[in-house]
Amino acid sequence: MTRKVRIKGYSLVLCSLALAATLTGQKAFAEPVASREYQIKAAFLYNFIKFADWPKEKVADPNAPVIIGILGKDPFQDAFGPLQEKEAKDGKVVIQRFEGFVELEKAGQKKKDQPHPKSQDIQKCHLLFVCPSENERVSDIIASVKGRDILTVADTQGFLEAGGIINFVTEEKKIRFEINAVAAKQAKIVIRSQLLRLAKRVIRGDGNEGK
Amino acid sequence: MFIKKTLLAQKFGFVLMLLLVFRFSGQLSAQQQDPNKHKDFFDMSLEQLMDVEVISASRQAQKIGELSVPVSVITAEDIHYSGLTNIPEILQFTPGMDVVQIDRNRFAVGVRGLHDFISDRTLTLVNGRIADSPLFGGSEFYRLPVLLEDIERIEVVRGPGGAAWGANAFTGVINIITKKPQDTLGGFASTRVSEFGDTYTHLRWAQKDGKWTWRTSAGYENYKSSDDAGAGAYRSTVPALNPLMGFNSFSAQDSWQKLRSDSEAIYDYSDTTRMSFGLGYCHGEGGDYEFGGYYPMDRAWNETARPYTRLEHDFGNDRSGYLQWFGNFASTDAPSVATYASAENDIEGQLNFKLGDRHALSTGGNFRFIRLNVEPQSPRQIVFLNEPYDDQLAGLFAIDRWTASDRLTLEGQIRGEWYSETQTDWSTRLTGLYAVDEQKDHTLRLSFAKAFRSPLASLRETQTTRVSLAPLGLPGLWAFNVLPAGDLVNEETWALEAGYTGRLAEGVTLRADTYYQRFEKMIGYLTIPDPLPLPRPRAIFQAANIDGADSWGIELELAKETKRGRFSAWYAYNDLETDEPGQSMRSYAPAKHKVGLRGRLFLNNGWVFNANYRYADTTIATGAQTTLIDADLIHRLDLTVAKVFASGKGEVMVGVSDLFNETEGPNSAIGQWTAHDVPGRTFFCNLALRF
Repeated sequence: MTRKVRIKGYSLVLCSLALAATLTGQKAFAEPVASREYQIKAAFLYNFIKFADWPKEKVADPNAPVIIGILGKDPFQDAFGPLQEKEAKDGKVVIQRFEGFVELEKAGQKKKDQPHPKSQDIQKCHLLFVCPSENERVSDIIASVKGRDILTVADTQGFLEAGGIINFVTEEKKIRFEINAVAAKQAKIVIRSQLLRLAKRVIRGDGNEGK
Repeated sequence: MFIKKTLLAQKFGFVLMLLLVFRFSGQLSAQQQDPNKHKDFFDMSLEQLMDVEVISASRQAQKIGELSVPVSVITAEDIHYSGLTNIPEILQFTPGMDVVQIDRNRFAVGVRGLHDFISDRTLTLVNGRIADSPLFGGSEFYRLPVLLEDIERIEVVRGPGGAAWGANAFTGVINIITKKPQDTLGGFASTRVSEFGDTYTHLRWAQKDGKWTWRTSAGYENYKSSDDAGAGAYRSTVPALNPLMGFNSFSAQDSWQKLRSDSEAIYDYSDTTRMSFGLGYCHGEGGDYEFGGYYPMDRAWNETARPYTRLEHDFGNDRSGYLQWFGNFASTDAPSVATYASAENDIEGQLNFKLGDRHALSTGGNFRFIRLNVEPQSPRQIVFLNEPYDDQLAGLFAIDRWTASDRLTLEGQIRGEWYSETQTDWSTRLTGLYAVDEQKDHTLRLSFAKAFRSPLASLRETQTTRVSLAPLGLPGLWAFNVLPAGDLVNEETWALEAGYTGRLAEGVTLRADTYYQRFEKMIGYLTIPDPLPLPRPRAIFQAANIDGADSWGIELELAKETKRGRFSAWYAYNDLETDEPGQSMRSYAPAKHKVGLRGRLFLNNGWVFNANYRYADTTIATGAQTTLIDADLIHRLDLTVAKVFASGKGEVMVGVSDLFNETEGPNSAIGQWTAHDVPGRTFFCNLALRF
């Protein structure tokens, strides 16, 4: 191999290193680890925040970020990466992950009738996504956040009936959602009409359901 | 003229990249409102999000433990961070894969051994469509019209897979699955340059327009010869014939230039009906290679076109099906081997439905018409008797996956195949899957499989003579002779397999697969005794079903995935013993011990560090009289460091492949009497942009 070619090659490598050293960046470049389904759901959660209003006392501090809590085995992986550049309700959106009830009980770190060790942090969340790993403890989880003005979301059959507020469903390979307006009202969260209009199903109270 | 075109293309590629950088940097803050251009779901409105189709990737994670065969998956991320530009090099870091590099363009690739450049025991598919040579068999990766950043994943199936994937999936299947247009919306550009001046450039655009979604990719690849890259030292396995071959004049001519394009369009007629169309094209030009002692050192070229059209329909009530036509059209001029053209047309259909709650069934079939036209351009090229060939094959299959209980699943696959030129035969796979626990975190698998391999035209119908003995006073006689084969029957195999897949802890998985495989009627090359009383006997070969072999082994893989990265370690023991000592199998045996380590770390501020390590024992060439050279053991380490910039829209990567070795080889292929080494350690850098 000619010396010329090798020198050219090394110069190219050094230039690239110099270029890389001067630049800043964020997430990884290759296709994200999260499945496509959860990338889309992550974007839905961001939109739910935009179309829901919390009581004044929950959003009193204008400098406090909007907190999305993920409870359980996290299927979102790095899907929330783009949120670093986004805002909602005039503030940053941050993600907080919590070990699930099922995990903690399996590991012996929590008994069934005990609260979550991080329950105080969970109660600061504006939106709490209950991961599929927590399916069997959905009722307990909803009960534990009752009265804390938290928008509970899941993708579990029967979530609305258990008292959850928004549930994802998949229909014809596309994501849809259904809303329990009664549970939202009990949580003092106002779901805007734009969101209600797009829901596949809305539980409105007195057993009334509709689109 | 061609050289000028090459330089022009290189300069064009570099200028284009500069223009893209400047264009991009001037528009960093621009926000596109057109949802068709939005790759970022967070920029979409609720209505737009509700229009996006979900492909459940969780299907893959669940599938691994529930499949009836051991499968390893190479993801798009694995491919991207490897920094490599050819599929065989990427495959070698997978458990059970045997890969030997012959020159810069050709590799011997096989699952659990039996690999050679033209070995026909591993089936290669692109999106489920056959991609092997209809003339020689073998996975022609060098001419596939697939660009690496368009690959969503590569599934490597270990074991006989004929029942599910079609005939001739003898030791395994490599299925290359490309990304759907809707997963690649927007633009992508990348270019890679190595220290030797090799380049690999890829441009892609994908768009959604109403019911249409389409993607088009184009790429140009140029790599230098082994000589130019500091390797190229030749070795002969028949030194006594060197003067007759002109060995001293041999030089590595394995520089190649390839132009590839791959386009796909999907039309969503309705929620239940979809049509897709695609066309892949590859044109390559480069140097030829020595074969049977004959090496004209001339230019070679090949051209491949792979169109397809497919109609899918969901009938509802868990019933769905598809109809598909695909074509595989190829022309090749390899001066030292053959000049030929092939045309494959395949029509296939499949219906999926449920019987009750517990049986998921699939049934279908295909018909393939193969035309092979061989036109020798010189008397030394291989002669194919009785050409042109019109081969036909037809297959029918049925699969039943029976959920016998919450924990026990039984799967049966059966396929029958009729070949016009050889024999009708059948394949099957019977599998039991048992979930040890309620959560199905731990699964045991037990399988029996049978498959066959039909002898292709290159085995049935060829003859050749090379390396004239006239300088030795023996005019009309040749040192290298291949006689027409006698009657050849199908090679056959059956296998017993057992496996375990388990999620040991959060993000930690363990897979263990063990097998015993029996081969019968394996086709090799018999050495025919020279009937003439010459002072030095000629090499006279004839293909024949010689005898069988036993193969056995185990593959273990432990993987851990965290938010920060993923790590895996694997070990494979793959052994093979032929029935007869020194029996020819037209291939290498598997490297007995293989080890792999893979690690990827996502650091702060967009830095990503990736390392791939592989060890493989010496790979033994089967056949006492073979001209194959045992391939040396391999210690290979590849490293890359990548850094994103501009909010993830750009990335710079630097890396080194094969850090430990200045050169590799020399490794030969069946029929070759000489081989040369290839460059090992290679530094490179890559620039990629999304817009």
